[in-house]
Amino acid sequence: MSNIRIASPVDIAISGMRAESYRMTAIANNIANAYTTRGQDGQPYRRMEVVLSSSDGMSGVTFSQAEPDTKTGFLRVHQPGHPDADAGGYVSMPNVQLPVEMMNMVTASRAYQAGAAVMKKQQEIVDVAVELLK
Amino acid sequence: MAGITPISGMGALTPAAAGALRPAVGGEGNVDFGQLLKTAVASADKPQENVVATIQDLLSGKSKDVLPAVQAMAKADMSFKLLIGVRNKVIEAYKQTMSMQL
Repeated sequence: MSNIRIASPVDIAISGMRAESYRMTAIANNIANAYTTRGQDGQPYRRMEVVLSSSDGMSGVTFSQAEPDTKTGFLRVHQPGHPDADAGGYVSMPNVQLPVEMMNMVTASRAYQAGAAVMKKQQEIVDVAVELLK
Repeated sequence: MAGITPISGMGALTPAAAGALRPAVGGEGNVDFGQLLKTAVASADKPQENVVATIQDLLSGKSKDVLPAVQAMAKADMSFKLLIGVRNKVIEAYKQTMSMQL
């Protein structure tokens, strides 16, 4: 029906907001695990990165599962007292860098706000159109 | 310009879609106004039911995501505003007709 046609930009904005909120989830997980030395298979935690993709036409943004960042290496920190330290006293720390995560968090939250602004503006536009009936 | 795909569902109102708003045709080809109004209200009521369902899911803890509720609410708000606009217009026309000097 015609009301779905009107709401189409709302759907797209919502898909963007959902993607940004998923990015925020990954960032929260990265920050929470910034010092996790015992992740899966005994390795330190690897930071997760959300990969966004756009589907056909103009139907918004989609995302699949977050993927681990295998391109940057673990940080070697000298902590001889740490239970996971090797013979030389070095511990492998996750490849999470808090300033980078903070920066990503700012962009994710700003993009979320942008999606909300698009939705609000679309509603205002519909209001303007309805105003013409008066 | 051939590479640009048209936005789906943004075409002009086709006769088929317009026909959906003309359910009961009277004997002399007249549109049954009551039936027309009923169809319009029912189509604006569907998004409202959707809002109730999503908010119930949210409040009962079945869904942790607020976005479906926001999405349903925005859609219902827009279609309801359109319905109210049309209703006001119709009532205005009725009033003008009734105050006509005979």
